[in-house]
Amino acid sequence: MPHDSLLLWKALQGIICVYKPAEISVKSLRKKLITKLCKDLSELDVKLRHPNPKLTALPVSSDPHTNSIVETESSENALEDISSSAISSGISHIDLRYHPLVVGPRYLDEDLTVSWSNFLGWNTSGVLLFGLRSGTQYAKFIRENRSTRAYRVTGSFGKATDNGFKTGKVVEKSTWKYINQNHIQQILSAMQASHQKKVFEISGVDIHSQTAYELAAKGPIRPVNSEVPIIYNLKCLDYEGPGFTIEVQCINENENYLTTLIHDIGIRLHSTAHTTAIKCIRHSCFTLEHALLPKHWNLQNITKNMDMCSKLLRDNESVINQTSAVLN
Amino acid sequence: MYRFRFIFRKIEIKYIRNASSAVEGNVSCTNTSTELVDNQQNALTKADTSKRIDLTAISKILRPGAVSSMYVNKSDILQQLLKLGVELYKLEKDPEGMKFILTLKFEDIKDTIIFLKELGVETQQIGYIITKNPLLLKESLDDLKVRINYLQYKKFTPEMITRIIENNPVWLTHSTKEIDDRLGFFQKTFSLTANNVRALATQCPRLITYQMDKVKLNLFVLKEEMGFNDVEIKKILLNKPNLFKNSQVRLLKTFEYLHNTMKIPLETIVREPEVLSCREKRLKERHSFLAKLGRDQYDPKQPNYVALTTLIKEDDVVFSTEVAKSSVQTFNNFLKSI
Repeated sequence: MPHDSLLLWKALQGIICVYKPAEISVKSLRKKLITKLCKDLSELDVKLRHPNPKLTALPVSSDPHTNSIVETESSENALEDISSSAISSGISHIDLRYHPLVVGPRYLDEDLTVSWSNFLGWNTSGVLLFGLRSGTQYAKFIRENRSTRAYRVTGSFGKATDNGFKTGKVVEKSTWKYINQNHIQQILSAMQASHQKKVFEISGVDIHSQTAYELAAKGPIRPVNSEVPIIYNLKCLDYEGPGFTIEVQCINENENYLTTLIHDIGIRLHSTAHTTAIKCIRHSCFTLEHALLPKHWNLQNITKNMDMCSKLLRDNESVINQTSAVLN
Repeated sequence: MYRFRFIFRKIEIKYIRNASSAVEGNVSCTNTSTELVDNQQNALTKADTSKRIDLTAISKILRPGAVSSMYVNKSDILQQLLKLGVELYKLEKDPEGMKFILTLKFEDIKDTIIFLKELGVETQQIGYIITKNPLLLKESLDDLKVRINYLQYKKFTPEMITRIIENNPVWLTHSTKEIDDRLGFFQKTFSLTANNVRALATQCPRLITYQMDKVKLNLFVLKEEMGFNDVEIKKILLNKPNLFKNSQVRLLKTFEYLHNTMKIPLETIVREPEVLSCREKRLKERHSFLAKLGRDQYDPKQPNYVALTTLIKEDDVVFSTEVAKSSVQTFNNFLKSI
C-alpha cells in the first residue's frame, strides 16, 4: 500500500480532549485547531508524495490515453540555469496538474468538520471536548446526554461588578472581614440541599410514588430537561483574605450561571462578591490530565489524544449511551 | 449565493479527489472543466449556452488550485512561472490577476524578471514577489527603472535596494511620487535624518508602504495613551519598526500589562522595545509563572535579574529551565492551572 496522507486523514475521526485557556472563545479555538491540523496534513502530503525536495513534479502515470502529457521543452532563456533543474532536465513527461505549487494544499479548512460537545464561555478555562469528522456525532451524543461537570470557581468578597466578573465595572463595595470558612460552608450546604430537593420536583415523577422512591434509593438523578441547572455538590476548598475557591459539581450550567452563583453567595453572606476565574476541571470522565494544551497541538499528539479518548469512552459507555436517569 | 458556493465546493472536491488519486489520474483536464461548466450553468441557469466559460471568473468559489491545475498543462506562461517557484494556487485568489496572467506570453515578462535578477534578487524571491504581487508584471520596464533610479538617487546602496525589493513585493508597484511622499512623511513626523530614513526603509520596507492611518493611530497610542516623548518614539521606531504595523489594541494591552502589572518603567521599554511586540497572553503566562516562583525581578540593579528580551524570546523549554530555573513539566502544569 502506498504511503499516503489519506490514511491518516481517514483515521482522524473521533473525540479529542483539549485545554481551553481563558479569554479566548471556543469558536476561535476550533478554528485554530482546524488550521493547524490541515496545515500539518498538507505538509505531510507534500512530503510523502514528493520525498525528494528538488524533484517537485510528479511523473505521469503510464497511461497512453492521457492526452494531458506535456513535454517541457528546454527553454533557451536566461532563466534556464536558475529554474529548478528537475523540471526541465530530469523527466521529460510531466503532468504538472499535481504539482504542489499548482494545486495548493490538499486539505482545506472547510474539509475538516469539528464540533464541540461542551461550550465554555469566554472567561472559562479548562476541559473541552471536540469531535473531529465523524466524531462530531459522538460529540453530539455527549452534548445531548448532559453529563456532569466539575468546576473550580474562584471569587473575591467585598466588591460587586456589573457583569459579575473581575473585568466588569465595580458597582458596589462592602465589608467582608467577618466572614470565615464555616460561614461559607454553611451557605453552600444549604444551597446544595435545596438543589437536591428541586431535582425531584422537576424530575417528572410524583414525589409520593413508588417510582420516585426507587429512583431516590439509587442515588442522585438527572433533571428532566436541559434547561434547569442543578448542583450536586458544593464545597469550599479554601478561603484566605477576600479570595475564596469553591468546587461545583453540576449539570446544565453555563458561565453566567456560575457567576450568578458567586454573586448569590456574596449576598447570602451579607456582603458582595465577584468571580475572578472559572475552570472546568472535569467533564464526565475527562479530566485536566487528559487535556491537551494548545501549544502541543500537532498531528502526533492529537492522534495520541484521540486514541486515549476513545479508550476512555469505551470504558465509560454511559457517556455516549445513557440508559437511566440515575447519575453515575 | 452561499448555497451555490456550497454546491461548487462539493463538485470541486469530488473532482479534485478523483484527479488527485494518482492511480486513476487520467480524468482528462477538458472533461473536468466541461462538467464543471455544465454544473455551473445548471445552477445559475444562464442563458448563455456556449460551453466555453472563463473559469477565472468563478475561481473565487472554486477550490484553490482548480483553475491553475486546469490550465497549467496547456499554458506556457504558467509553466514558466512555476519554474520560478510561483505559488499558482495563490494567484487564483485574485480573478483579475489570474485573467491577466493567462493572457501574457513569457516574452512579455522575461525582461522584468531579468531586470529583477540583475538587481540581485534571488530566484526563489522572484517567485515569492510574483506570488504576492502578480500585478508587478503589469508595470512597464521603464517605470520600474525609474523607481529604482529614484532609490539610487536617494543614495540607497545596491544591497539596500535588493533587500527592499525582496522584502516588500508591492514596493515597485508604487509610483516614485508615492514612495517619496511616504519617506517624507516618516522623516517629518519622526524628525529623522536621511541616514535614519534609509535605515528604516531597509530594516522594515513594508512599513513604508503600509496604511498610513494605522501608523498614525499607533503613533497616537504611543504618544498620548502610553506617554512616550518624541525622542523615545524615534528610538522605538528605529529599533523596532514592526511595532507600528501592529494593531493598536494589542499594543495597548501589552503595554498596560507591562506597565501596570509588571511595573516596568517606560525607560526600560524604550531600551527593549521588542517587549511591546509580545502578546499579552504570552507575557501573562510567563510573568505569573515567575511570580509564583518568586523570580519576577526585572530591575537590572538587583540580584536575580530577568532580562525582558530573554523572557519573551526563548521558547517554553528554554524559558522554563534557563530563565525560571524550573522544568517544562512544571510550566505545563502551571499553564493548566490558570
